[in-house]
Amino acid sequence: MPAVLGFEGSANKIGVGVVRDGKVLANPRRTYVTPPGTGFLPGDTARHHRAVILDLLQEALTEAGLTSEDIDCIAYTKGPGMGAPLVSVAVVARTVAQLWNKPLLGVNHCIGHIEMGRLITGATNPTVLYVSGGNTQVIAYSEHRYRIFGETIDIAVGNCLDRFARVLKISNDPSPGYNIEQMAKRGKKLVELPYTVKGMDVSFSGILSFIEDVAQRMLSTGECTPEDLCFSLQETVFAMLVEITERAMAHCGSQEALIVGGVGCNVRLQEMMETMCQERGARLFATDERFCIDNGAMIAQAGWEMFQAGHRTPLSESGITQRYRTDEVEVTWRD
Amino acid sequence: MQEAGGDAGGGSRAGGAGSQGRRGVGGCRGGPRSAGTTSAADHRAPGVGPAQHSLGPGGDPWSSAQRPGSRPCVFTLNVPFPSALEAEIARGSLAPDAEPHRGAVGKELTVSGSVLAVCWRAEDCRLLRISIVNFLDQLSLVMRTMQRFGPPVAR
Repeated sequence: MPAVLGFEGSANKIGVGVVRDGKVLANPRRTYVTPPGTGFLPGDTARHHRAVILDLLQEALTEAGLTSEDIDCIAYTKGPGMGAPLVSVAVVARTVAQLWNKPLLGVNHCIGHIEMGRLITGATNPTVLYVSGGNTQVIAYSEHRYRIFGETIDIAVGNCLDRFARVLKISNDPSPGYNIEQMAKRGKKLVELPYTVKGMDVSFSGILSFIEDVAQRMLSTGECTPEDLCFSLQETVFAMLVEITERAMAHCGSQEALIVGGVGCNVRLQEMMETMCQERGARLFATDERFCIDNGAMIAQAGWEMFQAGHRTPLSESGITQRYRTDEVEVTWRD
Repeated sequence: MQEAGGDAGGGSRAGGAGSQGRRGVGGCRGGPRSAGTTSAADHRAPGVGPAQHSLGPGGDPWSSAQRPGSRPCVFTLNVPFPSALEAEIARGSLAPDAEPHRGAVGKELTVSGSVLAVCWRAEDCRLLRISIVNFLDQLSLVMRTMQRFGPPVAR
C-alpha cells in the first residue's frame, strides 16, 4: 500500500498532496492572486511558492496523519510550466527525497490532471478535454501514450479568458475565469466574435485581439455591457472546444468524455459538453474545483501509478522543463 | 564533479575550440576557505570591476570586443554545511536544473568536505548577478527545508 507525496507549483497555484491506493489523504493548496488588471510573473510567483511550500508540506502530512517514514515516494511536477516556480517546488521535493532517502518521481503535469480525472470519476477510457490557463489539448489514450488529437496552435483558452479579464480589470480572486463565469450569467447580448477552429485544432490569439479592440469601442458607446462580452466570449470559445472534442470522439468511436484542468470548473462549459455528449449517446465526466484546478494530489496520483509500474527519476535527470509534451511519457501502467 | 548544464553549452559555443569557454580567463578555485560563507568576484570584463581595465581601439573600456563564447565574469561561493551528507544533499537538489541563459551563464557545483562550492562563469555581469540572486533564493529554500524536515535519515 504505497503512499505517495506529490508537489505541484507550475503556475500560480501551489499544492502538496498525499495519495495512498486511490485515496486522497490530504490536498492543501494556496493560490498567488495578483491585483485586477495584472497577471502573475514567474519571479513573483516563485517567491510566493517558496514562502508557503514548507507550511503546506507540514499541513499535508498532518492532515494525512502520516510521518515521513510512512511516505514511499516523492512525486513532483517536472513540467510543463513556468521555470522559476517549477524550480522552487522541485528543489524541495529533491531535498526531502534525499533527507528521507525515498525515491523521486518527475511527473508530467498534464498526465497528473488525466490520472486524477480517471481516479475521481471512474471513467474507463475517455476522450479528454484538458483546458487550463496554460494548456488546451484534446487527448486520447492509445498504445501506451496519451496522444494529442487536437490542441491550441497559439494560446490556451484559459490564457485568453485571463487576459481578457485584465482588460476589463476583473478581479483575479479567486480566479479571473471564475469571475468571468459569474458575469457571463448576467450577459444578455451575443456579440459576434471570430470563430477559429482549424481542423482538429483551435486558435485563440485572434479572438483575444479582436475582443480587446471591441471592448474599448463598444463599452464606450454603450453598445454592450462587460457582462455581454463575458457571455459572448465564453459561448464562442467553449463552442470551439466542444467541436474539436466531438471530432476526436467521432474519430475514436469514444463513448466517454472527461474534462480536466482549471477551465473545466466552468459550469457553462460542462453544460455545452453535456449537450454534445447526449446527442452522441456518450457520457460526460468532470471533477470539482478541488481536482480541476492544479493540486498536489493529482501529481501524487500520477506518481503512484508510475511508482507501481517501476518508474524512477534519478537526481541527475530530475531537472525541470518548461516544455513537456503529454505524449512524451510512456504510459506503462495502462494496457 | 558533474557541472550544471550551462557550462557545457557555453564551452561548445566558443567556435569549436571545445574547452575555451570552460577554462576561461580565470579558473575557478573551489574548495573551502574558512568558516562562514565566502565569495570572490573576479571581474575580467573590460571596464568593469576595480582591478583590470583593457581599453578598446576608441580608448574607452566598452569598445573592446569580447571573444564570442568567452566568459570573463567569474564568481565563487562557498557554503558550509553541518556535514558532508547535507552538503551533498544540497548539491543534489540545486544542480539538476539548467540555467535559463545556458549560452551566456554557467555554474558548477562541487562538494569538498562539508562545503558546497559554487563557481559561476558568465559573459556579462548582469546575467551573472541575476543567476546568483536566483541561486541564493533557492539555496535558502533548501536550507530551510533541511532545517525543518531534517536531519537526514541514516543510510
